Amino acid sequence: MKVSLNWLKDYVDVEMSPDELGHLLTMNGLEVEGIETVGQSLDDIVVAKIRAVKPLPGADNLFICQVDTGRDTVQTVCGAPNVKVGALAPFALPGVKLPDGTVIKEGRIRGEISTGMLLAEDEMGLTDDHTGIMILAHDSTPGTPLFSLLPLSDRVFDVDITPNRPDCACILGIAREIAAATGQIFKRPKIEIVEDGPPIEDLTSVTIIDPEGCPRYAAGMIQRVNLGPSPFWMRYRLYLSGIRSINNLVDVTNYVMMEMGQPLHAFDYNRLKENRIVVRRAQEGEVFTTLDGVTHTLNSENLLICDGERPVALAGIMGGLNSEIFAGTENVFVESAFFDPVTIRRGSKRLGLSTEASYRFERGADIGGAVTALKRAISLISHLAGGSTSTGFIDNYPKTYTPPIIDLRVDRTNLLLGTSLSKSDISGYLKALEMEVQEINEDELKVKPPSFRVDIGREVDLMEEVARLSGYDNIPVTYPFIRPSEKGEIPELLVRDQLRSIMVGLGFTEIITYSFTSPDSADTLGAEEGSPLRSFVKILNPLTVDQSVMRTSLVPGLLATVKTNILHDEKDLKLFEWGKVFTHKEGSDLPLEKNYLAALMTGFYCQKTCNSAERHLDFYDIKGALEALLKDIGLRGSVFQKETGISRYDPGVCASIFFSGSLIGHVGRVSPGVMADYDLADVDTYLFEIDIEALLKNVSGTKEFSSFAKFPAVHRDISIIVKRQLESARIGEIIKQEGGELVESVQIFDVYEGKGIDPTEKAMAFSICYRSKHGTLDGGEINRLHESVIEKIRKETGGRLREG
Amino acid sequence: MKKKLLELEKNALKALEIADDPSELEKIRVTYLGKKGQLTSIMKNVGELPKSERPEAGKLANIIKSNISKGFEEARDRIVIGKGDQAAFLDVTLPGREPLRGHLHPITLVIKEMCQIFARMGFTVVKGPNVELDYYNFEALNFPKDHPARDMQDTLYVSENVVLRTHTSNMQVRIMEAQKPPLSVIAPGKVYRRDSDVSHTPMFHQLEGFLVDKDVSFGDLKGTLTSFAHQMFGRGTALRFRPSFFPFTEPSAEVDIQCVLCGGKGCRTCSHTGWLEILGSGMIDPEVFRFVGYDPEVYSGFAFGMGFERIAMLKYGIDDIQLFFKNDMRFLRQF
Ligand SMILES: [Zn+2]
Repeated sequence: MKVSLNWLKDYVDVEMSPDELGHLLTMNGLEVEGIETVGQSLDDIVVAKIRAVKPLPGADNLFICQVDTGRDTVQTVCGAPNVKVGALAPFALPGVKLPDGTVIKEGRIRGEISTGMLLAEDEMGLTDDHTGIMILAHDSTPGTPLFSLLPLSDRVFDVDITPNRPDCACILGIAREIAAATGQIFKRPKIEIVEDGPPIEDLTSVTIIDPEGCPRYAAGMIQRVNLGPSPFWMRYRLYLSGIRSINNLVDVTNYVMMEMGQPLHAFDYNRLKENRIVVRRAQEGEVFTTLDGVTHTLNSENLLICDGERPVALAGIMGGLNSEIFAGTENVFVESAFFDPVTIRRGSKRLGLSTEASYRFERGADIGGAVTALKRAISLISHLAGGSTSTGFIDNYPKTYTPPIIDLRVDRTNLLLGTSLSKSDISGYLKALEMEVQEINEDELKVKPPSFRVDIGREVDLMEEVARLSGYDNIPVTYPFIRPSEKGEIPELLVRDQLRSIMVGLGFTEIITYSFTSPDSADTLGAEEGSPLRSFVKILNPLTVDQSVMRTSLVPGLLATVKTNILHDEKDLKLFEWGKVFTHKEGSDLPLEKNYLAALMTGFYCQKTCNSAERHLDFYDIKGALEALLKDIGLRGSVFQKETGISRYDPGVCASIFFSGSLIGHVGRVSPGVMADYDLADVDTYLFEIDIEALLKNVSGTKEFSSFAKFPAVHRDISIIVKRQLESARIGEIIKQEGGELVESVQIFDVYEGKGIDPTEKAMAFSICYRSKHGTLDGGEINRLHESVIEKIRKETGGRLREG
Repeated sequence: MKKKLLELEKNALKALEIADDPSELEKIRVTYLGKKGQLTSIMKNVGELPKSERPEAGKLANIIKSNISKGFEEARDRIVIGKGDQAAFLDVTLPGREPLRGHLHPITLVIKEMCQIFARMGFTVVKGPNVELDYYNFEALNFPKDHPARDMQDTLYVSENVVLRTHTSNMQVRIMEAQKPPLSVIAPGKVYRRDSDVSHTPMFHQLEGFLVDKDVSFGDLKGTLTSFAHQMFGRGTALRFRPSFFPFTEPSAEVDIQCVLCGGKGCRTCSHTGWLEILGSGMIDPEVFRFVGYDPEVYSGFAFGMGFERIAMLKYGIDDIQLFFKNDMRFLRQF
């Protein structure tokens, strides 16, 4: 909320600098987000008197004015429709710089000399008024500086009002806080009313059909008002508060709302059918046009102010076009009501219509202050617009407010805050906030908060007020006793930290992408019907389509990252992301959230440099990284099986990874079709994805030491020619099967295709390590075993030993 | 013995003369002068000679050792320092073959650091769902439906009663519901808001922390957060607690630290106030205890929440929050 310092000073003396005041408010819970200086760049603008006006020949809307600046008379050309002889107006001489940066120059307009400029309010940055030059009402001498005539120089505080403090959404509320914090006297607005009209009961009546929605409705009337513009001081304050000036009647209602926090509404009395008010719920489908010209279809969530026949306002939100103040208004009916916060909020939400009034009502207006605010408004209207105030006010108050009486324990307060405040300290703070405090015994107070403090209903709310007024900074620092936990880190987090470190060690860089994505992402990955990739959790109110569903895969984020980086000429990438994917879960409100680790490599494995040759990536680079990762977390014996059915992978270059029979992920080359969808058609990219939950089932968390072999090993190599399609793992299996526990390890050390070998075949060379746990191996025994291994390979695979 | 020594000298000097690369030279040095070299082993035998011959043999051995050493130095000068255009030359200024290094995301680094600080104090880390019931994200945290407090956080909805969590405070309710006090817990994780502009991203990371026990006071909250700030930003860092409003804490406090960039003098980052807002906190509202079935007359507690992006920006001097999710290598490589 924008708060004028001059306005505050009407109600509390401020003896500190604006910065100090800003600090004081911030430290009291009214955070000041900025302090703006206004009206101070107008030092060079003076009052001038218009001595003569004649039309500029050949120009319809321009006038040649002779202007008395106090020192001499100059000629200036002006386009304002309201220039007239004898008027006083602000004037800038050549060389003066206006707040928007314009420097006034001397020039010629249609051949006529024009010196300086007569100014409109908006040109001086005072208000947004540009209907004409600013006409000064004061009878002052030409040449007088403008700022000495008007209270222009001000500071505007931008105060962040938290939702619990609607009482501070007005000048008086903030002035009251300043008074409580500084001990200054809090002053109240002037109310001067002469009730010289007929009794109000003779003119109108208010019927409340829905007292839940409208517990209090007060109203007053003034007849035969002079509708017109508001005086500058009022328009200036409204402008600084961010409110547009309309006319003196509407401006007063807004002024009082900004000043006292009570939203008011002015009706044209003559336009109220039967001259009366009825408050009721809207009927289903009832139609109403608000004064902004928008027509709304209502239902029973909307509370209506009606006249004898039809709705005339959306209660607490906005008035209607059919009853608003207009140029012909003579008699005004002023409403000052209290509406139920939840009713106003629901109504406002339903219509998507939020106003200064609804903002205050939905947070809670001061039910006790409705009549005072009404009187203040009536007083101001009769002051500005004259007329005759009817005798008496309507105060229809079907649901009388009973303030809470709260027990406050001194010990309990000190215990919760960690303070050692006395009963009288506490009572003093609360009284400063206009609470009624009664001492019950040594430890207990009975406290009655004022009606505007809608946030206070419990003992703990009072404790907060005590803490606030005594100063958070004065609460001593202490340390809690924390019992050591008996539980260790949760496995997911242990593995996550471990995996991240390993990935970084392997040269991969971590990325974090948004958890939401585009619904197209499943198509882009080529997901088939019924795939979990299509089981999207949709966001009802997304910011953009690209962020309208929760991701079902980490792959789109990784590929998008490749794309961004390639645009910056970063082409050799090793990236990974750890994160959740989300899919629908049958029979549950909440989706299934599963952690995945996905990693990707693209570009060169190494670039050519002065001392190394270049090498492109291939499948074995990503597979190697994955194998290293799995081994490092203690998962030995994972099985890779060729996979052709996963559309985001190249069907010729893809494998599924199993451990103890369960699938833990996939590895392979990203399908060229997917890459093309990312405009990366020529970019060769390798990927793996690991399902963390499946992985966790197989990771014990501890590594087990096995002692070194005691007896020597015997190494034998075999080179064997087999069909190209035969997987090396098959031969490894046969060797292990046939060799039994004497085979310690099998390593493939060469694969050869080409010259000397039939094109349908390949040669593979294995090194077998034989070792016994129980003794030194006998040469003959090993030879026999090795022969039977070779024989078995021959029989099972149709392969033959490679000669030479 | 004398003959052996002279022979050795001759061989050694000859080898040094023809040697022409540093590795070969080093091999010669080891062969003749090394601890297990030929000269050493001959000199060991001096002790076995008749007493009368020992001084002369010893003297000769020393002379030869010094001759070979001299020869070695000459050869080294010749090979390593002299004739650079012919000898093998190692350009130590050429770049090495640097293994590609990976980098953790700066948010991960800050999460790790902060979790470690709280773990040292005795807080336990927990994780929870990102897509959450309205009940855990709002209602049980004392954000009633139709309450303006809900406007404080622009929410992304999945259905009427399911939201993308707007804060990690949902874990307060989930943990308290499942466990009994004493509790000291931190919950780091992703959170979401319907908010995207220069200074907001629709997803960001937050740390929620809370402690519940008997006799926990606002002073304890101040102590815990002061200790955190000192560990995170340096021992002298000043803190300021000021009143604020969160539906699930009462009293509530925003916490500012002295600006880490200007030391409190005022700069652009701190909007010339000298202070930086880093977290929200307060004493857990009795209403929250009521939802989880704790007796507020017996237990009290505090809770706090802060954004990792904000802290990472201050720590690393990053001026654009969008950078965290663009994943530009030129950015990531710096951490
Ligand atoms: Zn600063």
